[in-house]
Amino acid sequence: MTTGFWHQVAAVIERDLLRERRRGDVLWITIPFGAIALLLIPLAVGTDAALLRQIGPGMYWVIVMLFGVLVAVGKASSETLPQQDASSLAGLDPAAGFVGRSVSSGVLLLIFELVVGLVAVGLYNISVIGIPWLVLTLVLAAAGLALLGTLTGAIVNSTSAGTTLVPLLVAPLSVPLLLGATQAYDGLRFGHSILSWVLVMATVVLIVAMIGVLTARPLQET
Amino acid sequence: MQSQTRIRRWPWIAIGLSLAVAFTLSMVSPADSVQGDLVRIMYVHVPSAWLAYLAFFVTFIGSVAYLITRSLRWDRIAAASAEIGVYFTGLAIALGMTWAKPTWGVWWTWDARLTLTAIMFFVYLGYLALRRTTDDQVLRAGRASVLGVLGAIQIPLVHFSVIWWRTLHQPPSLVRPDGPAIQDPMMLAALIGGVVAFTIVYVSLMVKRIELIHLEDRKVDMESAVERPVAGEAVTAPELGASS
Repeated sequence: MTTGFWHQVAAVIERDLLRERRRGDVLWITIPFGAIALLLIPLAVGTDAALLRQIGPGMYWVIVMLFGVLVAVGKASSETLPQQDASSLAGLDPAAGFVGRSVSSGVLLLIFELVVGLVAVGLYNISVIGIPWLVLTLVLAAAGLALLGTLTGAIVNSTSAGTTLVPLLVAPLSVPLLLGATQAYDGLRFGHSILSWVLVMATVVLIVAMIGVLTARPLQET
Repeated sequence: MQSQTRIRRWPWIAIGLSLAVAFTLSMVSPADSVQGDLVRIMYVHVPSAWLAYLAFFVTFIGSVAYLITRSLRWDRIAAASAEIGVYFTGLAIALGMTWAKPTWGVWWTWDARLTLTAIMFFVYLGYLALRRTTDDQVLRAGRASVLGVLGAIQIPLVHFSVIWWRTLHQPPSLVRPDGPAIQDPMMLAALIGGVVAFTIVYVSLMVKRIELIHLEDRKVDMESAVERPVAGEAVTAPELGASS
């Protein structure tokens, strides 16, 4: 594989999405699991419509953050060590591999967010407001989670903990994304500017992307 | 031939002396006019929180240095510092909660500083959990150093949370543009004395913990050397009297 960086990224994205189309992990397992979680919450906190409407957006984002980790981890761990060695011998730039895996995870996370979001809107009667900003928030949350999941997936790769450790690592690190997403929705609801929260999310995405690209090679070499 | 690890005894003496001085200062300083004797908790809580920042910052520096130099010495520094940081973050949270119950009326409040400190605690707990997943020193150092860099994002968030958000937690008392907020010289001495004493404790614990990590790594090396066949599994030792 001696093609340019972005060609390698495109090849990794194509491979990951093709694998997902064949296996359907996100579509048939993670999305239904997220939808069930949204169904369970009212059974635990009460079925008062006003309460559910109030807590619905927050619950939706918590579900996205916790279950989204599973999507990102699933993608990061789907590659076996011999496959990684084969990619490396074929000349795949580790940074291109990181970017490609993150983008494919991001695409799947976005699908997860949209489907589970529709379920949340239906079950909790949530108002959909400020659609362009909302879409931007969804994209940034998906990108941030995908990058964090891919990076931590690479960190725990070939250790005895496997992927069981990833949620413990990703959940606390995703707090700025959760804060940004929930505060942005509240800002839209009350007519405030949400630019600062969008910037917080974008900053997290940039920092994690930078760390991921810079450490891709050292992580592969150890 | 492996180098001998030097066992130092001065850190124990330094810890004992510095804690004795800090304890004396915290006891002779006057009670606060509003908080009463509860203020004495602050002489341990504030230094603990300071140590948490210092320790995690050193973990960050050690991680970056390892990624650049690939020297395991830096990884040991990062690991030792993270362990001490997690301990003192836990202590700061526990003491903060003990102080909050009689002062604020609750053990816990959803304040930005408190919540982010708890999250920082879990980030570094994850860092320590990651380190326990393998005995391979190089693999462990490579993985942990990336997390050590990633986790450092939390440090400025926690520190500046009292400035960025309107919080119940008070803003910085010592490091302020207009000087320390504490006016009483004895109270100020107790707080600064605590910070200095805890910093000495940190340095001393670092020295002892790095010694211990070095010994642990040597033990793992020796064990794996015993288990490993000298000439590889394909070669077997000749046996006397074996038929050809």
